[in-house]
Amino acid sequence: MSRLSPLEERDGETVVRVPLTNGLTLTKGQTALTLVGILVLFGLPFLAGIVGLSWGRLFRGLLFGMAAVGLNLLLRHTELVSFGHAAFFGGGAYAVAVLAAHLDVSEGLLLLLAAVIVGTLLAAFIGYFVAGYVDIYFALLTLAFNAVIFATVFRSGFFNYNDGLAVRVGGDNPTLFGLGWTDLGYDLVLYYTTIVLMLVMLLLMWRLVHSPFGRALDAIGQDRTRARFIGIPVERYVWISFTISGLYGAFAGGVYALQRLHVQPEPTLYVFVSGEILFMAILGGFTTLVGPLIGGVLLVYLLEATRFSFYYYHAPIGIILLAIVFFMPKGIMGSLPDILAGLSRRASDPGLLGDDLQTIGSSIRRSLSRATTTVRILVFGVR
Amino acid sequence: MLEARNLRKEFGELRATDDVSLEFGTTPGEMVFIVGPNGAGKTTLVNLLTGLLEPDQGSVVVHEETDDGTTVERDITNVDPERRVNEGLVRSFQIVHVFEEMTVRENVRVAVLSRYDKLLSVRSRDDQHEDVEETVDDLLAQFRLEETQHEVAETLPHGDRKLLDVAMSFGLDPEYLLLDEPTSGVATREKEYVIETIVEASDARGVTTVTIEHDMDLVKTYADRLVVLVEGSVFREGDPTLLETDGELRRVLLGVTE
Repeated sequence: MSRLSPLEERDGETVVRVPLTNGLTLTKGQTALTLVGILVLFGLPFLAGIVGLSWGRLFRGLLFGMAAVGLNLLLRHTELVSFGHAAFFGGGAYAVAVLAAHLDVSEGLLLLLAAVIVGTLLAAFIGYFVAGYVDIYFALLTLAFNAVIFATVFRSGFFNYNDGLAVRVGGDNPTLFGLGWTDLGYDLVLYYTTIVLMLVMLLLMWRLVHSPFGRALDAIGQDRTRARFIGIPVERYVWISFTISGLYGAFAGGVYALQRLHVQPEPTLYVFVSGEILFMAILGGFTTLVGPLIGGVLLVYLLEATRFSFYYYHAPIGIILLAIVFFMPKGIMGSLPDILAGLSRRASDPGLLGDDLQTIGSSIRRSLSRATTTVRILVFGVR
Repeated sequence: MLEARNLRKEFGELRATDDVSLEFGTTPGEMVFIVGPNGAGKTTLVNLLTGLLEPDQGSVVVHEETDDGTTVERDITNVDPERRVNEGLVRSFQIVHVFEEMTVRENVRVAVLSRYDKLLSVRSRDDQHEDVEETVDDLLAQFRLEETQHEVAETLPHGDRKLLDVAMSFGLDPEYLLLDEPTSGVATREKEYVIETIVEASDARGVTTVTIEHDMDLVKTYADRLVVLVEGSVFREGDPTLLETDGELRRVLLGVTE
């Protein structure tokens, strides 16, 4: 257990100090979940097959989830809703594709670096123009930039229109660490490299949001006017956080290109993708660090798995999402503590289950009686 | 010294600030009260001084004494509010502006971090700077917010929220502190306590305060100097005893006819 730093008592609870974080702590339960999460991530290529899930899909889910983690820096802290984060995801993906297809760059890590640079510069560029806006104006401006970029790529021969570009040099997969790999080897090396980088990026994000800078972003989100009058250069800070948040999307998009080996505009750059990234953050729990990652895995898996099974595949997903928004407004990870607490109460006192049934029963009865009244009024008019 | 020089601001037909020239802090640490009937342009004047509004005419100037005893003038009329904080110019608002989802301590801390220029630091945790934490402790003690320091700002009673707002302003180490009705909405019996706390804190630090206040009893008790605004212009300026002696002032301000 040398990876665990010494335990510490805080407010009567034993907490675990996490290494490399300047003493950020997790509760015992959170530590256990984190360790399980890391183990699952590392075992995923083998575990996925055993439980009948597609590893490639889960991988892509993690990537979109990473973009959502980036977006969440804006959503949770500066409280800005961006509808344009696909621009950075797609920007990263296209940086990889263009360099491979047009300039014959074959080293995957070099391509990934280029993706991060291009996507981040793009975020810095767009961020410069949108940093002074809030609310609906911010949302619409980010959406507009995203739409312009999508339209440009979609209509441009350089990007090969709707068909997109293959990430192949002379018909071969890119190299990783300077070596050529078999298909399976390539996927595994790419996956594990990504996971390690991803964990580092999550750790950095965790530190960032607990740093003085993170606190300044909170201040901006909660009261922009006051933030200015305590001397925070609001626009500059929003710009910086926008750029950082774009960096996460660009990284994710770059890996996506390397994983798919083919980049098309619609799955990467389309404004709907921006909406999906936003939804991942909310679905997974935007009040938490890793919630958006969970949301990403879940949403991408649902979208991809149901895509070919029937035509109206968006409908059941929409219903699931509605249910989550109505019943778990803090998202999956955000509601986890409540759910766990509720379950453990019920485990110790099974009598509560009877109350639950009663609650459900009476709420159904109420809804039915309201519905009957409504129907009666519609049919017979008000009496 | 903070100087308003021929400030003028119009909103359409309304001249909210009409050629106002004033000096604050001629005696460093003085407590100036701005009074006047509703719509006299008190808040507009504070907004012009702190950069929330841009004047149509005139300028805001800071006079600073250098080490060799000479005075340097700096025109800050076009300086952003966030940079005016660096000039020692800090304000509070009539409606409480605190960071509602943060605890009391976090609210004060973010102001103090700003004052120590540490907000861009990403390599440390926000509560890891000893100098900052010490200053935060001092402020919490001075404003008697220690007991509630771990409570979330939005759950505080109104009087404490006002004090938190002011404590944050002091956390920025102001030279000039502009307070827009620090006692508004505070129960009458607590008003004195709020002002008293502000006086103590500014005396301890030699801060020049400019306070908008409607309660004339408080003004009489605490003012070093009085500025009366009426319809955008300076109507009277001087000793707070004017409130007793100046018949015309009493008529305009208090509706008293003698």
